[in-house]
Amino acid sequence: MILLWLLIVPLAASPLAFFLRRRHLMEAVNLAAFAVLLCLAAALGVRLLRSGPVSVWDGFFYADALSALVVLLSAFVALVCSIYAVGYFRHDESSGVFKEGEELGGGRAINKLREYYALTPLFVFSMILVALANNLGILWVAIEGTTLASVFLVMFYGRETSLEAAWKYAIIGGVGLSMALFGTILTYYSAHQALGTDTLAGLNWSVLVGNASQFDKPTMRLAFILILLGYGTKAGIAPMHTWKPDAYSEAPVPGAAMLAAGVLNCALYGLVRFYILSSKCLGQEFASHLLILFGLLSMGVAVPFIFASHLLILFGLLSMGVAVPFILVQKNFRRMLAYSSIDHSGIMVLALGFGGPLGVLGMLLHMTFHSITKPLLFFCAGNVQQQLKTDLFREAKGGLIHSMPLTGAAFLMVTLAVTGAPPFSLFLSEFTILRAGFSRGYLVLTILFITFLVAIFSGFLIHIANLVLGPDPGLPSAETCRWKKSSVVGLALVIIVMGFWIPAPLFRLIQHAADIVTSGR
Amino acid sequence: MTFLQDPEFGDRIITLMAALVLVLQIAAVGQRWLVSSIRIFAVQSFLLAAIAGIIAYFNHASHIYVAALLTLILKAALLPWVLERLVRRIEIRREIEPLINAPLSILISGCLTLVGYVVAQSFYHPEETSVRAALGHNTLAVAIALFLIGFFTMLNRRKALTQVLGLLSLENGLFLAAISLTYGMPLVVELGIFFDVLVAVMILGILVFRIREAFDSMDVSKLRKLRE
Repeated sequence: MILLWLLIVPLAASPLAFFLRRRHLMEAVNLAAFAVLLCLAAALGVRLLRSGPVSVWDGFFYADALSALVVLLSAFVALVCSIYAVGYFRHDESSGVFKEGEELGGGRAINKLREYYALTPLFVFSMILVALANNLGILWVAIEGTTLASVFLVMFYGRETSLEAAWKYAIIGGVGLSMALFGTILTYYSAHQALGTDTLAGLNWSVLVGNASQFDKPTMRLAFILILLGYGTKAGIAPMHTWKPDAYSEAPVPGAAMLAAGVLNCALYGLVRFYILSSKCLGQEFASHLLILFGLLSMGVAVPFIFASHLLILFGLLSMGVAVPFILVQKNFRRMLAYSSIDHSGIMVLALGFGGPLGVLGMLLHMTFHSITKPLLFFCAGNVQQQLKTDLFREAKGGLIHSMPLTGAAFLMVTLAVTGAPPFSLFLSEFTILRAGFSRGYLVLTILFITFLVAIFSGFLIHIANLVLGPDPGLPSAETCRWKKSSVVGLALVIIVMGFWIPAPLFRLIQHAADIVTSGR
Repeated sequence: MTFLQDPEFGDRIITLMAALVLVLQIAAVGQRWLVSSIRIFAVQSFLLAAIAGIIAYFNHASHIYVAALLTLILKAALLPWVLERLVRRIEIRREIEPLINAPLSILISGCLTLVGYVVAQSFYHPEETSVRAALGHNTLAVAIALFLIGFFTMLNRRKALTQVLGLLSLENGLFLAAISLTYGMPLVVELGIFFDVLVAVMILGILVFRIREAFDSMDVSKLRKLRE
């Protein structure tokens, strides 16, 4: 029953917000719905730890520790984003951002808000559905659903650039997901020969996983490649990452944070489910090598885009032509966040590729910590952008800590956290992945992994430090909105606490999920 | 009327129709009028619905009838109607010169068809002599070719609307692959996919319209402000 409630709550919140029309009511509906959702998700986790997997409707919906973890993270991200969204959109409204949009053919402010508050629950609903669907076909439908519900978030402001970003997002996402659908069809086919069922259960994960070793091997191999390309596009791993910087920088900040911290998990979740099937069918080698390749590639791609300014000196001497892309890149801090996200999806895919109990544990820990940390990075960037009315480094003079002490401090802290500096929790997961890499004998690749991490750490930190620290440029002090403040402070506290102490039930849930990935049960 | 029960006959009809689907796809590659492209898509979808119907008939698989009917209503009627209205509203009738010219594009499509056959060959298990295996081979090749050509169209064309059509024909390829390999996906999945396709086209339609308004053009190569 709890599974159904998890789906009903966001699904009901959407029309409710749509018909209520008043800003306060819409905000309240969103906040209440996601708060309830988080409680339900926690209850699901507790129940799973006590009594094992649950399913309803003849196994149409099914939850094990892995799905519970993704549900929990999605609900958490949705709640913190909805708290921040209240402050963010009130600021947008008062500073007249929507009025500019009106001239460009966007709707009135209240309609814009309605669009956001009605579509976000649908978006969250599809994320929850991804985790709870037992049928791999429904899983695909739900992941496509997350794309469809979020296209409007990307084109929210109705600027030319937003339309461009939305177009890229929809088309690249659509093509990528069609590959994933092809992969799903082929998986069905390869299982079909072994199971011979024409019924609904033929694509149910709980059925497939027990019989994966009898699947047709060549078909499964092709299927996994297609799935990796498809869900990899959605997770934004290189070289299918090109939509990400555009979409993340054009969507309103709370929406972008949900894309970065929520949808990423869903796409990786889909990938993990198929990884389990393929490693049972083909052995680990095949999937691992592909995952490691894509994982390292994503991290590598992110490096030059983040590191920009200092490579610039080097490249500038070599050739202006080579340096041009790097100059352009580092101009926008919202886009830089997207490269950080590409980097992190690379890390997770790489960890899965290293495999073994340690690698999988590292991946799931990283997924958890990343979902908790990433939203704060977006919120800080959003605060800065709303204050300065620009997202370009060039126009920000630095010294933000004087006019925005809270955001500035949080920004520095979360930058350290997100790049994996101790004592923050992402250090722990990255260290686990590192150990997994060495213990599985990937010596050179692990050293490459460390190199990328260090490069990203230094590049990222230099940029944000330049933005936050420095002499006071004499801006008026901001930070009056208590919604924005409370979401930033609250999340910062969670991140600090998680650095030193992980709640035991959460850790057990992650361990159970890791067991499912390594053993299939 | 005994031939109506003969699986051999069904197989031939299906192969013929699959061939027609492929021919239409290649014709669409060389087509520059938007309305004609949309109509080609409609006819193609109609043929797919017919193939699905025939497979359902010969294998007594009732759930494929539903998929066939949905294809007929959605892809052969509703979507083309929506897209044609869109074309009329945005008042752009012709595709500008594609990146690769028509004769070369058709040649490339031919090569992609070959690739489709080679890939499909690798799935073909000669030890299975049932109708299913024989039927699967040809249609699967066509399905993979449709998928690849759809992909190519999306890369080659610059109008937003033709990219949508490319995506749709890619989806048609997947539908054909699904019914030829496994007699379609489970019904509930099939319904979900149809729903997603419908919503996706609506959203892309809105986007096309907004892009046309904002840029005064539907040329996606003009979408290049967001660059590194």
